[in-house]
Amino acid sequence: MKLFGKKSEPLPPKKNEDMPHSKLGMPYKDWMGLNENRHKWRNRRWAFLIFINLLFVVSFALDLSLLEGSLSGSRLLGFYLLDPYNSFQLLAISVRTEYLPYLTMNFVIGFFTIVIFYAIMGGRSFCSWVCPYHFLAEWAEKLHDYLVKKKKIKEHSFQRGLRYVFWAGFIILAFATERLVFETLNPVGILSRAMIYGPGLILLWVLVIIAFEIVYSKRFWCRYVCPIGATWSIIGNISPVAVKFELDKCGHCRKCQDVCLVPHELWFVTRGKATQEKHYVGSDCTRCGYCVDVCPGDALNFTVKGLDKIL
Amino acid sequence: MAKENKTNINRRQFLKSTAVATASMVAIGAGVSFIQKYKHDENDGKQLLRPPGAIEEDAFLYACIKCGLCVQICPIHAIKLAGINENLSYGTPYINAREQACDFSCDSIQCAETCPTAALYFVQFKEAGLKAIEEVQKQGPEALKNINPFKVQVVAMKKVTRIGVAKLNEKTCLSVKGKGFSGTPRGKDFKGVLRPQSKESRKAYPLREQNYEREICDLCVTECPIGEEAIKLEKNVNADGTVSYKPKVLEGCTGCGVCEMICPTEPASIVIEAGKKYEEVYS
Repeated sequence: MKLFGKKSEPLPPKKNEDMPHSKLGMPYKDWMGLNENRHKWRNRRWAFLIFINLLFVVSFALDLSLLEGSLSGSRLLGFYLLDPYNSFQLLAISVRTEYLPYLTMNFVIGFFTIVIFYAIMGGRSFCSWVCPYHFLAEWAEKLHDYLVKKKKIKEHSFQRGLRYVFWAGFIILAFATERLVFETLNPVGILSRAMIYGPGLILLWVLVIIAFEIVYSKRFWCRYVCPIGATWSIIGNISPVAVKFELDKCGHCRKCQDVCLVPHELWFVTRGKATQEKHYVGSDCTRCGYCVDVCPGDALNFTVKGLDKIL
Repeated sequence: MAKENKTNINRRQFLKSTAVATASMVAIGAGVSFIQKYKHDENDGKQLLRPPGAIEEDAFLYACIKCGLCVQICPIHAIKLAGINENLSYGTPYINAREQACDFSCDSIQCAETCPTAALYFVQFKEAGLKAIEEVQKQGPEALKNINPFKVQVVAMKKVTRIGVAKLNEKTCLSVKGKGFSGTPRGKDFKGVLRPQSKESRKAYPLREQNYEREICDLCVTECPIGEEAIKLEKNVNADGTVSYKPKVLEGCTGCGVCEMICPTEPASIVIEAGKKYEEVYS
């Protein structure tokens, strides 16, 4: 979209008779109620997230070679997978300490396998489909929204660009201190290790972040800090798997933006904003599928770019 | 105009939050450096006992990505991950030799082989194994027929391990006192396992099932997975004709910790000095 700096003119706003509810001959309110309780993708996603994390736990507990290790580095049926941000930190330190030549082939394989995989799956799909912290934060977000609605607390938001400040900052920090500083603070790794190898006092840190997200700023860690998410955002920029938006099916009810974890990615659903008949969501999208579930007109759908043209 | 104002506010807010973010990261960096230095001075060179193949501690702390693959592959569960009470070592693997020592049950130093970042460096073991085979080949084709190359390789791999050095406390050692030992060294509730040197078995048995009868306690010597290159029972005939014994640690000691685990005294009379070299301890 705005990635290359060119801004195209928005299409003229849709006329009333072109709206999907008019085509169906329904009152707008009734139309909006369509698909109200559909949770197909959410259920699939939660099932997958729990399955993956359980697979880690079971592999260790029962000594099976299915998915060994933890989310900072693992082996799936013998194939290595490494967290890229961890790898970047390690590379930064390696350059300084001349440790680079010692790195193993498994490191190279693990790094590129995961980068290629998420470049295909796109966006921050890791976040909503695998990350255990995301799962907790989703519930924290619900609680936060409830408290804001009840006017118990005020919402505080920041700029999303902050993530990239932290991204660069933690790399520099690793380089300067010769320690994987971020990995010690990383709630993803902490939760993953706690589940697999047993809990420890460090879980208190995760509790602090969750508490902060509930009472102060919605999704603070995921939105403004987490450099792992930022890494996926960069890697998943050109992915073929995405959510496709079709303007002719959209009734501009914006229910999708209400449920979206990254509402700015759905900028084109507002009446008179879309510049094309079809839009694809950007790389901040976690491919969670909330919008796909909720859309009354089925204007949003998962797609593989290019493939839908062939079929 | 209003829109321009909004961008300005946004920009100002962004700069403000960037400043806060940078400040907090600098604070974290300063904190890490402080703990690093403070702990280094306080520990006075003491460190955790790392799994076989561990590179030098300073490098180990950054090379280890805390994935726990070594923990998972260890067949006797000797490797654990450190908690936050170990400060910057949080999440890194260590061995508590007194509870469960590395007895080389895996026969291939799997923990080092599985490590994706070479924090546990496997190449040294591989080279040692190949070199040992070559040595045998040099003796001619006859020599190769009579040996099991796998075994030659395994022995050579074990021998190059250097994760620490055993150190004896002569004040409490049973054999120095001239005492023997009979029974189960660590009691009937002890959870650790050990691959007995007396059996040809490649399986580790719970130590609580083992019974030993010794006139002079020499468990650390007989159960050492490396053997006479690492530790031997020294026999001294004193001037008055009496005989005294003492287990002597030699340069071949790998620091695996089996002696520390099996030592029947409480606390153990022989302990591993983690990360130390032989010359540092015995000079």
